[in-house]
Amino acid sequence: MNKKTALYGLFILVVLGALLFRLIQLDLRPMHHDEANQAVKFGILLEKGEYRYDRTEHHGPSLYYLSLPFAWVASGTSFSSLNEETLRLLPMILGVGIILLFLLLKDGVSLEAAVFAGIFAAVSPAMVFYSRFYIQETLLVFFLVGAVAAAWRYTRTRSPFWAAASGLFCGMMFATKETCIIAFGAMLAALFLTRISLKKSVRQEDMPDMPKISHLLIFLGTGALVSLLLYSSFFQNPKGILDSVLAFGSYLGRAGDAGFHSHPFYYYLKMLAFSQYGNGPVWSEALILGLALVGGYAAFRPLTNGDSVPFFLRYVAFYTLLATAAYSLIPYKTPWNMLPFYIGFILLAGYGASFLLRISKKLIFRIAVILVLGLGLIHLGMQCYRANFKYYADSRNPYVYAHTSMDFMNLIQRINDLSPHHPDQEQMLIKVITQPDEAWPLPWYLRGFGRVGYWQEVGEAGALANVPLIISSLDKTSQLQPYLEDNHLLEYYELRPGILLALYIDQNLWDTFLQKKKVN
Amino acid sequence: MIKKIYLFAFAFSVTALFTLGGGIDSQNTDQEKVVLELKLPKPMFVGTPKNIRSPNLERITGKKRRPFYVPKGTLLLSLDKPVTGSDTEPIIGEMEFVTDGEKSGEEGYYVEFGPGVQYVQIDLEGSYHLNAILIWHYHSQARVYRDVIIQVSDDADFITGVKTVFNNDHDNSAGLGVGKDKEYIEVNEGRLVDSRGVKARYVRLYSRGNTSNDMNHYVEVEVYGTPVK
Repeated sequence: MNKKTALYGLFILVVLGALLFRLIQLDLRPMHHDEANQAVKFGILLEKGEYRYDRTEHHGPSLYYLSLPFAWVASGTSFSSLNEETLRLLPMILGVGIILLFLLLKDGVSLEAAVFAGIFAAVSPAMVFYSRFYIQETLLVFFLVGAVAAAWRYTRTRSPFWAAASGLFCGMMFATKETCIIAFGAMLAALFLTRISLKKSVRQEDMPDMPKISHLLIFLGTGALVSLLLYSSFFQNPKGILDSVLAFGSYLGRAGDAGFHSHPFYYYLKMLAFSQYGNGPVWSEALILGLALVGGYAAFRPLTNGDSVPFFLRYVAFYTLLATAAYSLIPYKTPWNMLPFYIGFILLAGYGASFLLRISKKLIFRIAVILVLGLGLIHLGMQCYRANFKYYADSRNPYVYAHTSMDFMNLIQRINDLSPHHPDQEQMLIKVITQPDEAWPLPWYLRGFGRVGYWQEVGEAGALANVPLIISSLDKTSQLQPYLEDNHLLEYYELRPGILLALYIDQNLWDTFLQKKKVN
Repeated sequence: MIKKIYLFAFAFSVTALFTLGGGIDSQNTDQEKVVLELKLPKPMFVGTPKNIRSPNLERITGKKRRPFYVPKGTLLLSLDKPVTGSDTEPIIGEMEFVTDGEKSGEEGYYVEFGPGVQYVQIDLEGSYHLNAILIWHYHSQARVYRDVIIQVSDDADFITGVKTVFNNDHDNSAGLGVGKDKEYIEVNEGRLVDSRGVKARYVRLYSRGNTSNDMNHYVEVEVYGTPVK
C-alpha cells in the first residue's frame, strides 16, 4: 500500500468519524432560542409553502429551503410531527461536507495537509458543536469552503464548470447569512494581497491566471441567479431581493451597537485558546491554534533559492488573518460567528502538521511530532465528546451561549403529562405571558398544542381565572398572583441560567392529575 | 261561556308555550356545535437572548421580608452544631458549612450533594421549642429547589415523633407525602419557615435537585428556638 492510498483510506475513516460525532443523539440538546425561531419560521414554509425574507431577523433563506427535503422525507408537510433530529440533519451533513470539500484543495496544500485538516475539523469541539445546531453558521462555512475550493479548481482546470460551481457557492453564501459580506471582503482582499506578495517568489506557472471574462460572467450569473431565486421566494416575493441588500444597513447598525452581545476583541481567540467557567473543566483548541501558527509560518517563511510557497497556502493565511481581524474587531460577537475564520485556522493547522512532519528529518523528531499530534488529537476528541455529549447544555461549556436549560424540558414534560387529564387534551388553552426573549423555545415545544397564545402584558391576555395553564416570566408573577392565587398551583422552571419561568396549573386539572397518578 | 273561553285560551297558551319552548329546546340541542375559534396572538420572533454565565446576585421577585416575631428569649440554636446527611461524602464542601454561620453566595461556602432526594440533619444537642428555621440553599443565581421538606423529631432516625413543618413537594415525587407549601425562588435573605414552637432535637431538611441542575446544595441553615422548661 503506497502513501497516497493510505492517506485516502485515512481520509475515509476521518469522514466516518466526523459523521459519528455529529450524528449520534442529535436530539440530545434542548432547542436553543435561535434554533426554535428558525424552526418555527421553517414550519410556516413547510406547512403553508410561505416564506418571506425578513431583513431584520432570521438571516437568509437557504436554511429553510434546504431543510425541506429532510422534512418531507421524515414528516411530510406536518410541522407538529417534525423533530429536532430532522432539523439538525442539514447542518450535520454539511458539517461533514466541509471535510469532503477539503479534498478539492489537495493540490493547493497537499493531500497530507488536507487529511490533517479533515481530522482537525472532525474532532474540533467548536466545529462539531455547531454542526449539531439548527442555525446558519455551518451552512455558511460549507458554502465558503465550497466557493474557495471551486475557485481553486477553476484556476487548475480553467473549466467553466468550476466557475459556475464557485458562483453557486458564493450565491448560497449570500443567501445564507448577511455576515457573508465579511467573508467576501476577506476572500477578495486575501486574493489581492497574495498576488502582490507572491509576484516574485512563486514560479510563474504556479501563479493562477486571471479568469476569462466569459467565465467571470458565468460565475457572477450563477451566484446572482441562485440568490435571486431564494431571496425572492422563487419569484413569489420580489421585494425580498431588494431587502437582501437593504439588510446590510440594519446588520451594520447591529454590529456596532452590540448591546449584551458586545465582547472584547480577544473574545474568540481566548475562547479557543483557553476557557474555564466556575468549577467546570478547562477547554482548549490550542493544538489547532498552535499548528495554524506553524502553517502561517510556512506560508510566510523566508524563501531560499529554488523554494516556493504554495499560492493557495498563502491565500488561506491572508484570508484567516483578515477574517479573524474583521470578526474580532466587530463588537457584536456570538461564539458561532467565529466559524467562518476558524475554518482558516483548521486548514492552516492541517498544513502546519504536514509541514512539521516534512521538516523533521531525524527519526527522533518525527516520533516526537507524531506523539504530540496523537496526544493533542486525543485531547481534542475527549473535549469534543465532553462538549457534545456531557456539557451539551451546560453554561460551563464555552460554546453553550444563552442556551435553553435542561430544566426547561421538565416544564414541557409537565405540560405533556397534564394535557391528557384535561377535557380538551391537546386543544386545552395555554396562555404564555412573557417578553419575546423569554418565550422561546416554547413555540417549538408547544407546536403540537392547538390553542396557545402569546402576550407580552398581563392586561392584554384577557380572562385568566379558568385558563388551565399559564406560563409567565417572573416579572409578571406579582400581577398574576391576585387572579390565580386561589385556583392555580405554581411551579417554577429554568428557561436559561438565571431566568425562570412560572407555570400556573389550574387546581382542578392538578387534582385530577394527582388522583390519576395515585391510581396508577 | 266566558269561563270556557278563558279555559280554552289558557289551555291554548300553555300548549303553545310548551310547543314553542320544546321547539326552542330542540333547536338548541339539534344545532351542530363547533369549537369556538380563538384568534390567539403568535409568538414574536426575536434575536439571540443575553448569555448569562456569571452569578446573578440581583433579587428576582418579592419585597423585603417583613419582621418575624418570636417569643422573647429565642436563641440561634444551630450554630456550629453537628450535621449529618444522606450523602456522607459531599461532592463539594463539607457538612460543617451548613451550620458554620457563613451565608455568602460565593463559591466555597456551600456543600453539594448528588442528584435525587437528599437531606441534611442538624443535631441541636437537646430538645427545644423551635420557633423559626431559616434556609439558604444557594442564592447566587435565581433558582428553585424542588421538594423542600423540613421535618423535626426527637428521634435521630426519624422513625417516631416526626413532624413536618414545611413541605412543597406538591406531587409527592420525594415520597414523603403531598405538601401544600409553595415553591420559592432562592434569594440572599434565605427562606424563613415558621416552625410554630414545635418541640424537637433534630431538624432534617430534604430537597430533590433544583431548576439549574440535579444537585442539592446548602449554604446555611439556622434554627431558632427556646429551651424547654
